[in-house]
Amino acid sequence: MTSREALAAYEMIQLQERLDLLRREHLGALRALERIRLERGELRQVNMATMNILEDLEEEKRRSLDAQSALLNMLEDIEEERREGERTKAVLEAVNRELEAFSYTVSHDLRAPLRAISGFSRAIAEDCADSLNDEGKRYLELIQENVNRMGALIDGLLAFSRLGRQRMNTSDVDMGAMFDEVFQEIMAQEPERDVKLIRNPMPLLNGDAVMLRQVAVNLLSNAVKFTRGRERAVIEVGYAADVEGGAYYVRDNGAGFDMKYADKLFGVFERLHPSEDYEGSGVGLALVERIVVRHGGRVWATSVPGEGSTFFFTALGGRST
Amino acid sequence: MMAANENEVLLVEDDPNDAELIVRAFKKGKLTMSLVHLRDGAEAMDYVNIRRARERASLPKVIMLDLKLPKLNGLEVLRKLKSDVLTRDIPVVILTSSQEESDIAQAYSLGVNSYILKPIESDEFSKTVVDMGSYWLRLNRTRRRHEGDL
Repeated sequence: MTSREALAAYEMIQLQERLDLLRREHLGALRALERIRLERGELRQVNMATMNILEDLEEEKRRSLDAQSALLNMLEDIEEERREGERTKAVLEAVNRELEAFSYTVSHDLRAPLRAISGFSRAIAEDCADSLNDEGKRYLELIQENVNRMGALIDGLLAFSRLGRQRMNTSDVDMGAMFDEVFQEIMAQEPERDVKLIRNPMPLLNGDAVMLRQVAVNLLSNAVKFTRGRERAVIEVGYAADVEGGAYYVRDNGAGFDMKYADKLFGVFERLHPSEDYEGSGVGLALVERIVVRHGGRVWATSVPGEGSTFFFTALGGRST
Repeated sequence: MMAANENEVLLVEDDPNDAELIVRAFKKGKLTMSLVHLRDGAEAMDYVNIRRARERASLPKVIMLDLKLPKLNGLEVLRKLKSDVLTRDIPVVILTSSQEESDIAQAYSLGVNSYILKPIESDEFSKTVVDMGSYWLRLNRTRRRHEGDL
């Protein structure tokens, strides 16, 4: 090979190499172009996805704004209801206070004229005894009796109105022992009566001892009163675990009452028997109900006329108000 | 030291019926006493203040006070009487128809000597009045302050 030929061959190789290089480089660029095309496509997709997401977000935002204003409306309604409730509560409290002040005043101011009637009719009986015949004296006695009845009514009314204002002092009260004690006290007032008390076991009751004592006094004295006609008067006290989740009861074999009038039993000044047959102010059971309700319970009675009655009461325990 | 008013009862009562029945009860009970009857709290304080200024011994021996009184009520009169060193030893008996716990508690915290509920029944009423009068006028001994004690 001549040197010229050798040079040409060398240049050929050189050219070849450059060509290869160029091709390699070109290929990179081609690939890059291809990649760019692909990426652009992806980018477009991503772009579209982003648009979608943005739209979704916009939709979400609208929805959450709607929810927010609905919530605000609801809060406003609740606030309005709360204000309404507070207004009602304030009105109720004022009415209650007025009622209590009313019955307090009435009870006091009713006492004064009664004292005068009692005092002056007694004065007539004493000072004018000589000029009074037997009928006149009997009328004065009747005045006195009625004054006493009216006095008992006023006392009952006063006790009833006072109860609403009284604070509760709660403790665990041994109802069985309380029934025993109260029964002894009642019987001491009526030595001529022979009444048997059956005391069944009963659980402690968390409540106001003074008020619960009033319940025991009223239920037991009723039982004693309404068994007056019985040769063998029996009163039973106990606890029925299966009745309304547990109820205390006072049962007697006395006069009983017609269940038709059971709803009147606990009304103030309601009576189911003429006062000539069974004395009383008509406040006792109303007081019992008020006390039981303050203890979160309920009181009711069942009866068969001529055979006796059972008074039940439940108590969820005292609310310490 | 027998003073002129050793037997004086000051009755502050606005109800004329109650007042008359109280006077009648005292008469029937044959208590030796002089009864001064006033109808409202302000009148009662004026009376006490005039006596107080004049001579200590001329103050009433016992004061019977109703709670519901015109002008100054019973508790206000009681507060004035018990916060004055010259009158605070005079026994004060509240005679009222109020059975309110708050009235009773307030009366005792102001230093009342006795709190009595007016009975409705007439025999009980006159017995209560006479018992009270004889207790405070005859049985009970009360400390009486003199000038030198102050």
